[in-house]
Amino acid sequence: MDLVDLMVVKRFIGQEFLTWLWWKSETSDGLIVSDGLLRFAADHNIHVVIGKKLCLEDGSGDEKLVCTGPAELHEAINGLALGKKLEQANIILTIDDLNYSFTLTGSLFELKGIKAPKTANTEASETMEGLILERIYLFNKLIETIHALFSLFLAVRIDPNLWEITQRHMSIWMSMRKLSAISQD
Amino acid sequence: MGLLIGSASVVQFQVIGELPEMNTLGFIHDKVREYSFKDIDDTYDEYSVGWVSITDMFDTKFLYSSAISGDFVTISLRVDERKVPGAVLKKFIAKEERRIMDEKQIPRLSKGMKVEIKERVKVELIRKAKPTPTVIDLVWEISRGKALVFSTNKKAHSIIEEYFKHTFGLNIRQNIPYLIAESFLPTSDHDILKNLSECSFITIGGDANGLS
Repeated sequence: MDLVDLMVVKRFIGQEFLTWLWWKSETSDGLIVSDGLLRFAADHNIHVVIGKKLCLEDGSGDEKLVCTGPAELHEAINGLALGKKLEQANIILTIDDLNYSFTLTGSLFELKGIKAPKTANTEASETMEGLILERIYLFNKLIETIHALFSLFLAVRIDPNLWEITQRHMSIWMSMRKLSAISQD
Repeated sequence: MGLLIGSASVVQFQVIGELPEMNTLGFIHDKVREYSFKDIDDTYDEYSVGWVSITDMFDTKFLYSSAISGDFVTISLRVDERKVPGAVLKKFIAKEERRIMDEKQIPRLSKGMKVEIKERVKVELIRKAKPTPTVIDLVWEISRGKALVFSTNKKAHSIIEEYFKHTFGLNIRQNIPYLIAESFLPTSDHDILKNLSECSFITIGGDANGLS
């Protein structure tokens, strides 16, 4: 299968990862701290918040559902339950003391509108080369972290038993989200 | 916005192919200069593409900032293109057709004449148009064979893939989730990955799609 075919046929893998990340960021599952942020034991403390703006699409990518703000998030949950895929999400990611804000597309792992952190090194860089290397470090750090999260997802996704359990947990989470939205209405 | 200023959009690519083992940095440096951008402001050329300094789109000789920092090649691809907006082209074609019909005292033009007028007007307008620049930043990490392209535009990706190959003789391929997954998983799991099918979620109280 060539790259163009893979981009179409296997686009669901990244979209499912994005959905899983949303669920992970909101539920405990043993990895989450009480404030609702994701934290897992690794070399770094990583926190993920998903929200503000989500974009879902149907299987073909033709029909899109854009949800902005907390009030519309239950529409996104309904969309998932109707078979739509999470294609874009606005993410706030904290890696130790580095704060990033960006939009991630699920199907292609494209990062848009990245607001990279300003570090002491960035501001203190006296040479252009120092600034270039600092910015490269910050972008590489972000991509490596997303890939690390993706590898956590993969370990679950390719194991049929683990994935079935995870799917059930995610389904319960979606149901709770829907019920919560109904009670607020 | 790219590597250095403001918010950025970025896509990771994989570099495919082998660089010369001897004098690798010298090879890259020479190629970047050989395929650097050639200005078309004072010509009638419609299109120009080439490498420029990541810090200054007018620095085509890399006098003020090196193309290589440590293990990273940091360059920008500059594309200048003379473009004529469709509405402007349409207007001037119609105007010229009217002028010729009046001059020749004929009620309408033949198909051949219309084609000739269209081509001639287009060339004239393109020559008068100022080249519009586009700059795409690129960071190539040599040892890992990874490249960051600071654009999510598909046309920009296509241009940079082609010109990267043209310059260095190496292909670059977008690192999509499936390929990243393949690189993370042991070969023994590749068939599982290959055979994965889409899942759906079921919520309590309806909207059932079933578990796969």
